[in-house]
Amino acid sequence: MSFVVVTALAHSASAQAFSRSFSVPPETSELEVVNQEGTIKVTAGANTAKIIINARYNENAAKIGAMQNAQGKVKVEVTGQGTVDFEITVPASSDLDLLSYKGAIVVTNLAGEVRARITDGNIQIAGLRSHRVEAHSTQGNVSFSGEVLPSGSYTLKSYSGRVDATLPANADFKLSAASFRGGMDLGAFQMKYDKQTHQLVEGSHGAGRASVSLWTQEGSIHLHRKP
Amino acid sequence: MECRAVINSLSDFLDSQNIWISDDEVKQIETHLTNCPACQNLKLELSEIKTAARELPLHTPPRAMWTRITNVIEAEISAENAPLHQTKNVSGWWGRLKSRKFTFSLPQLAAGGALTSALIIAGISGIFVPHSGTLDFVGLQNALLLPDEGEIKAQLERRMDAVNARKANWDSQRRAEFEQRMIKIDESLNRCRYMLKDNPKDAVHQEMVRALYSEKRQLLEDVERLRW
Repeated sequence: MSFVVVTALAHSASAQAFSRSFSVPPETSELEVVNQEGTIKVTAGANTAKIIINARYNENAAKIGAMQNAQGKVKVEVTGQGTVDFEITVPASSDLDLLSYKGAIVVTNLAGEVRARITDGNIQIAGLRSHRVEAHSTQGNVSFSGEVLPSGSYTLKSYSGRVDATLPANADFKLSAASFRGGMDLGAFQMKYDKQTHQLVEGSHGAGRASVSLWTQEGSIHLHRKP
Repeated sequence: MECRAVINSLSDFLDSQNIWISDDEVKQIETHLTNCPACQNLKLELSEIKTAARELPLHTPPRAMWTRITNVIEAEISAENAPLHQTKNVSGWWGRLKSRKFTFSLPQLAAGGALTSALIIAGISGIFVPHSGTLDFVGLQNALLLPDEGEIKAQLERRMDAVNARKANWDSQRRAEFEQRMIKIDESLNRCRYMLKDNPKDAVHQEMVRALYSEKRQLLEDVERLRW
């Protein structure tokens, strides 16, 4: 018991907290986060007109800046070095632009456009109902699970990691999947193939109205059907 | 530590492995570099040369070439060691080579590097081209395999120059990670370009080459957005 208390005290003594909230237009809110190292978690909040940013970081040289421009777009930027972990809630329809050098990006239950980029770490996107998703990791896995909207565009890329896409059984999409060295598992859907080589597959499911693009140079690609 | 000592060790210092200099020496060099703009500039220039050298494609020479090189080395070792040793002693000549102290001025180093590059290029061209007729590795480096590849390369070089100008200020770990990623992507790019050269109309490899250029561009964009 005493060990737990000591640990908790030590943690609270070294950890710093950052908290800000911004009022935003409910239907057109935008958030940009630029982080050096750490996790960025963004999820839909109950409040449809607020972006609430909470962050924890250890005492280090990292500085967090948060501002809102005249159009209502919120930008959070970490400069310097150090790990900062963000937990952010936004209106569900918010458009996101997230960048982290190292760590992880997790986005859940949103309906706006999502652009997520990380150099070294995983990107996990789940419960989305968005018409535009771009997720790109250089050295990490990328996974997406969500709706595929007609005329939507979904691009998942990783240079050396694994790419996973979990789509509804009735998803209507055109697929382009390319893996130079890691192989592909696309067996979950009965596709109509236009091109099929070991490294590049192009085909469609349904009328092919949405666009799904999966790319990895060294990793593997897995297409799953949502149960 | 004096400038002369730093200059002599700079090349080893820039080697990310730092296996030829001690931790203590690394610290002394780092301290000197923070206080000496001239050596800092020199370090930046050497870093750029190293980066440019890494842009060159990697090639695996044929086994016959290795055999010829091995034969030449062994013959030289035998001649040198004949009066003293009856058997070959690889660690002996390597040890002696390592123990010798070489001192070169920077112009000498640059001239030596240029000469070595020229010899390698000439050697590769001379060895590969007459035998294969189609494998021109130097040509591969300069060849434009996509209709817009010249413009893609030029854009990347401009961005790379801007990043290189700032790289000296980065944390050493970040710099090493960035360079290693670039090298890995370049290796993939070289593999794909090599295959594309064999079959220029292959849409798959065209896409792969484009995707890899895009990956390089993305890394450079990240650095700009992260304000490194």
